[in-house]
Amino acid sequence: MELAKIVADLGWETLVGADLTRDVRDGYCSDLLSDVLAHAQAGDLWITHQRHLNVVAVGKLRDVAGIVFPRGLRPTPDVIARAAQERVNLFLSADPAFVVAGKLYRVLHP
Amino acid sequence: MRWWRADLHIHSTLSPCASLTMSPPRIVAEARRAQLDLIAICDHNAAENGRYVRRLAAGAPVVLMGMEIQTAEEVEVLAYFADEEAALHLQEELYPYLPDIACDPDLFGDQVVVDEREEIVRRVERLLLSPVALPLAEVVRRVEERGGIAVPAHVERVPGGLLAVLGLFPEGEWPQAVEIAPWTPVEEALAAWPALRGRPIVRGSDAHFPEEIGRAWTEYFIAAPTLAELQDAFRGRGGRKVRPSREVKEEG
Repeated sequence: MELAKIVADLGWETLVGADLTRDVRDGYCSDLLSDVLAHAQAGDLWITHQRHLNVVAVGKLRDVAGIVFPRGLRPTPDVIARAAQERVNLFLSADPAFVVAGKLYRVLHP
Repeated sequence: MRWWRADLHIHSTLSPCASLTMSPPRIVAEARRAQLDLIAICDHNAAENGRYVRRLAAGAPVVLMGMEIQTAEEVEVLAYFADEEAALHLQEELYPYLPDIACDPDLFGDQVVVDEREEIVRRVERLLLSPVALPLAEVVRRVEERGGIAVPAHVERVPGGLLAVLGLFPEGEWPQAVEIAPWTPVEEALAAWPALRGRPIVRGSDAHFPEEIGRAWTEYFIAAPTLAELQDAFRGRGGRKVRPSREVKEEG
């Protein structure tokens, strides 16, 4: 499914929309970046509470479709700037992670 | 210069997860038993017991002030200081950044400051086994600003290891040295994390119980057991060297 449609349907705020035409494969939830490096797949939407600058590098390395910060956890400007530079999509949701994942799952696996 | 044996990761009664038998006298006795030249007391987000261990040890072994700080990212960083006041000030500075959660001793264990005569000086109210609301870079900055050295703890381990939690080293010069867990073979750590190459690897016992003190250590080829010499050893200055012990057998 196209990323832009998911973002609109789930009401996320786009912090960095480098490429909203991407096809979303599935979702992945983890706050451990080593786990994401090992298991996230290209095209996944990655939901995480982790807001260190390294999320951008890890998202880029795994070629995720985007990173979603739940519960209104807004990353700092340096993270947003780096994501824009690296063309990694970033989103913010007011929902807690469980709800973000639940809603995303319903959309991706109707 | 000669080789000095150091265990720079020892918990005490001030860590809720550590044994109440980890009093200053017991730590000093066990450190002497393990023939350690240099130790550091690294309680979670707290430095205070180091002062009593240091007084009692009277140089045998040499005691560095230390803390194991948990950052907002839930990365654990060992902080070492030569100066007692610098460490105690940092402890005081970090305390308000801990979540306001009381330590329930039944759930988490006791966190008590114990002096050199094994008297309880005070109990620390907030649960020390929590992250401070300061990001990693800021914690490192505050440690270094006070003249300390910050070394990421057991980098390959979940929970709390820098590489396990953040996947990569952050950009920049830091860290100059990294700690791996007592039970991880060096070769295994290097195979799993090629980024470890080129940085000195150290290990400590991460002792929570007396008999664990000195189960893993690091030897430093330095002129004297001081923080400045450790810093030079991490940078490989003037022929100084760092050599971690072999791993312990089972996961503690």
